[in-house]
Amino acid sequence: MTDLLKGVEKASRAVKIEVSTIEQEALARELDDFLQWLEPMLELNTNQAEQVLFSHGAVNVLREDCPRQSNLAELQEAAPNFAGGFYLVPPIIE
Amino acid sequence: MELRKISVRQAAEAVCNGEPTAHDLIEITLKNCSVINEGLNIFNYIAGIDAIEQAKAVDRRIESGEQMPLAGLPVVIKDDICYGVLPTSFGSSAFKDFISPHTATAVERVMDAGAIVVGKTNLDDMGMGSTTKSSPNGPTINPWVPGYTAGSAGAAAIAAGVGMFALESDSGGALRQGASHCGVIGLRPTMGSVSRFGLNAFSSSFGQVGITAFSSENIISVLKIIAGYDPRDSATSICTDRLDEQNSTPALKDIKIGYPVELIDYLEPSMREIVEKTRDEYIAQGLKFENVELSLFREALQAYYVIAAAEASSNQARFDGIRFGKADEASSLEELYHKNRSSTLGREARRRSIFGAFLLSKGNYDLYYRQALKVWDMVRREFANVFKRCDMILLTEVKKLPVSLNEDKGFLDDWSEDLFCAAVSMSGLPSLTLPAGQIEQFPVGIQLVGYSFSEELLTQVGSRLVR
Repeated sequence: MTDLLKGVEKASRAVKIEVSTIEQEALARELDDFLQWLEPMLELNTNQAEQVLFSHGAVNVLREDCPRQSNLAELQEAAPNFAGGFYLVPPIIE
Repeated sequence: MELRKISVRQAAEAVCNGEPTAHDLIEITLKNCSVINEGLNIFNYIAGIDAIEQAKAVDRRIESGEQMPLAGLPVVIKDDICYGVLPTSFGSSAFKDFISPHTATAVERVMDAGAIVVGKTNLDDMGMGSTTKSSPNGPTINPWVPGYTAGSAGAAAIAAGVGMFALESDSGGALRQGASHCGVIGLRPTMGSVSRFGLNAFSSSFGQVGITAFSSENIISVLKIIAGYDPRDSATSICTDRLDEQNSTPALKDIKIGYPVELIDYLEPSMREIVEKTRDEYIAQGLKFENVELSLFREALQAYYVIAAAEASSNQARFDGIRFGKADEASSLEELYHKNRSSTLGREARRRSIFGAFLLSKGNYDLYYRQALKVWDMVRREFANVFKRCDMILLTEVKKLPVSLNEDKGFLDDWSEDLFCAAVSMSGLPSLTLPAGQIEQFPVGIQLVGYSFSEELLTQVGSRLVR
């Protein structure tokens, strides 16, 4: 369980989600249950199988490389803090 | 006009003839939405003056002689599908006032055809779930059985008669299970047939826009409008005519249904009885059945949750509160990210993001994620083998009846409910949910799974099998 606690801590840091100690412990227990639940899948012999990247083997469709109308101003309006062409965040250089 | 008793074609013709006008139909529908919503909690947002104005615009288009296949018809859309007029919450309280700069392609297409959005329907936390129990607005109540979940709010809206059809997302089975629980018809189309531009899919591989309605005829009428290549979604099929057009209605005796007899063992006795009775009735109507082997549903469900969690952890990175959404006060960038994301993502979304990041981390990637991708391949091959001999597969959507509003058996119990839907999502094949019967007062559905782009055939057969 200690490893799973560390795993949860590391994963929550990676996805930048605040997790309290109590929630971390609960998530570690749930993760333990989840990994045990996955065991039948792990036991499956997949030696002859390939990794799938799309559900029915379709390939990406490329569109014409030509300029399209953009609604950049509307997208920027959706930002909570935007000014002078920049998304505003706290200073990152001390 | 009784929306539950009329086809899309008949309803649009009536509106074009002014009986009623689009304005009158939408005005009464909006009132009905408000009344119904008080008891069932279907809507996150009900349209107002904007829908009335759109209805007036449709009436003007009709006056100018324009023919529209969905003229003036009310549509409800799930609240993870963007619509630039009403807020799109994605199932998060942090986005309750967010107006998307985009409108989803599927929504644009039905609006171009004359449909009018009357409301955005409730959903689970970030669309993750098939019950609406994790919604910040509380669960949607089953219209047939108060005290139980509807599964999907779009299905509840159609069952309650406040929409001609619903556009809903379906990843692991929300649309199909909702249709089953509410006694209506639902279609999860072939992957690639409908654009997902404007859909907040937590899982890029499995999220799809589908349709819920009161008849198979209505489903195919809407699908023909929303399907087709979209340059804004590179995963849509490049062929606009991929939906297999049936030149003539096939005789039921020419259709062979695959029956995964071993899977039926997973069902509770009452559910099993419904499926077996449905099979017997279909046989009596002339359909041929053949027992088939689909042995990987349990492993498919597990692989689905590995891949879906991994993709959720990546896709949800966009919810950082910088480019859109709600921003909290913070003294550093790292703190800003943590605060914004923590207030945006609910319990289920947090769980899947964290599990997903764990599964993708060094040491776990090969063991879990790579294995899941290979299981996906095996699942696809298993379905392909069945379709060498059969035209369709008969399945159910759920193992048991809908959960009561107070029931909480834990996340794995909820996830396990997707057993019959997750494998179909992985196959990318179309699936039509049809009402099959009732257990006590609970409606129960079955799903007919077809080969890729066979929606026309599925709905033609489905329309003759509705009970």
